[in-house]
Amino acid sequence: MVARFLADEAVAAQAAAWAQDYRLLAPVREGQAVVYRPWAPDMHPFLGRPPSSSAKQALLPQTEDLLTYTYRKDHTDLTRTEVFLAEPLPPEPTLVLGCRPCDARGRKLLDRVFLERGVKDPLYAAKRANTFFITLACERMENTCFCHWTGGGPTSEEGSDVMLFAVSGGFVARALTKTGEKLAAALPEATPSALQELEAKLASPVEPGPVPDLRAAPERFLALFDDLDFWTDQSARCLSCGVCTYLCPTCSCFNITDENFGLKGKRLRTWDTCMSALYTLEGSGHNPRVSRAHRLRNRVGHKFCYHPREFPAPDGARQPEVSCTGCGRCIKSCPVAVDIRRIVLDILEKGENK
Amino acid sequence: MSQNPYMPQLATIIEAFDETPDIKTFRVVLQDETAMRAFCFEPGQVAQLSVFGTGESTFVICSPPTRMEYLQFSVMRVGELTHRLHTLKEGDPVGLRGPLGNHFDYRAMRGKDIIFVGGGLGLAPLRTLLLFMLDNRPDYGKITLIYGGRTTEHLCFKDELREWAERGDMRVELTVDNPDKGWAHRVGVVPAVLAELGVSPENAVAVTCGPPIMIRFTIQALEQLGFKDEQIVTTLERRMKCGVGLCGRCNIGEKFVCVDGPVFTQAQLKGLPQEF
Repeated sequence: MVARFLADEAVAAQAAAWAQDYRLLAPVREGQAVVYRPWAPDMHPFLGRPPSSSAKQALLPQTEDLLTYTYRKDHTDLTRTEVFLAEPLPPEPTLVLGCRPCDARGRKLLDRVFLERGVKDPLYAAKRANTFFITLACERMENTCFCHWTGGGPTSEEGSDVMLFAVSGGFVARALTKTGEKLAAALPEATPSALQELEAKLASPVEPGPVPDLRAAPERFLALFDDLDFWTDQSARCLSCGVCTYLCPTCSCFNITDENFGLKGKRLRTWDTCMSALYTLEGSGHNPRVSRAHRLRNRVGHKFCYHPREFPAPDGARQPEVSCTGCGRCIKSCPVAVDIRRIVLDILEKGENK
Repeated sequence: MSQNPYMPQLATIIEAFDETPDIKTFRVVLQDETAMRAFCFEPGQVAQLSVFGTGESTFVICSPPTRMEYLQFSVMRVGELTHRLHTLKEGDPVGLRGPLGNHFDYRAMRGKDIIFVGGGLGLAPLRTLLLFMLDNRPDYGKITLIYGGRTTEHLCFKDELREWAERGDMRVELTVDNPDKGWAHRVGVVPAVLAELGVSPENAVAVTCGPPIMIRFTIQALEQLGFKDEQIVTTLERRMKCGVGLCGRCNIGEKFVCVDGPVFTQAQLKGLPQEF
């Protein structure tokens, strides 16, 4: 496969070309944040640092239609109404430009929930089959990054269709899938000097630091499950704002609500957050996760205990499959600096002697 | 039928009546007659009822699969959706998604004595199993129902309670916390009745449902009577949205009440993180 080259000054024009065939989501700067937006002609994709929000919105939008309904009155008997239901519109083919390896790897973990757990979600499946990722390999790790804990790394290819590697003046593009080849075909071939530069960079990769052995995490989490003092301590600062879950590339919990316009409306699926007390509040007033301690316990437990127990890694695997890609957004964006790495390390340490 | 697991089937309310001041019973049929004839469920399974424009919520199908003229739901008015449901009347359309979840293991209960212990609207899931067993009466041993409510008027299915007591092939023990004049049955909480009756665990299964606090003390009382964890069956309530194991909120550890439940034995519950 030929390596291609995307010059810095060609990014916007190439994005516009891709946007002819796809709904293109590209990162742009908005204030302090870098967020994905649908392509607009005056847009300048910003690839300088990892986007603040995750690319999961391409597969699991913040809000999407599940169905539409229409009430119709019976004109011969006005006490009677009929209701008609319709399926949502099929999704457009989507291309995500400039996500990072941790985002692309999130795809697999969303697949676990929506395609492999039990009921196959056809709305997700339709998007999944038609969504492609052009991923930018990371040149360095930020101090909130921990992709190497979760089986990934700054140049991990998993889940990507095209990988971009930054070199002088632009990016070397490597296609990884059939669609990736089609996407990259319009680009000129990479020059030998660009390839040499890339090889030199890959030969001295970022040293990501030590990795804790997470194989014991599920068991130690369960050993600490009933230790509410531990969880109260860990969650003492938490504000229940939910930003950790909204920005997470693997958090997939959703709410279903109706939005009514006169005699018709839509049933919507919207991101939800297990950090909210309302998430589990029952009609009777009973709430199984009544405090922030219970809710933080669920978030950490789901990622590092329940998920690996539900989807066990093959025997002999060095690490379990956790529902986390180590993107670090929950750490970086937390207004009170709750650090999931610290919590996991504490679980590993304090759960050992429980 | 739609492949979209969120797409309800359309149904019509054919009957709606008050059980108690805040509980209403709805009998519904699917609008598509073929789908209604093909509708197949097991006792204990739940369904989502929709009022389009307000939302949907999970309720147990409290009629048994042996009586398929309609599907019955008894609904307590507690939140937005149930308030709206309570305004609906005969002829109004609703959406129905189901059946969802697991069911009572009535096959394993064959040949055994069955003790139903219910509180308030907790009788709804017991009703589906009880009626199923009464319709297959020879398959089961002695059947006992211990049922309690806050007051006389908070007891559900009052006509049926009378009917069941008069059948002669099952025992019905009723109790209320606060009796009114003319109450001829027991006074006090359900777990106390269990102890008073000295129910035998031998070749028996106890099936219990009610408010969480009642379930907790009922299980304690059953354990004191010598019931083993495998002999105690209960159903859990959780806030649910999707009903198909995807939306996340009803998890207990890696189990989901909407697909792995709502029916659990005490033995199964003991194997889960204690968060319910």
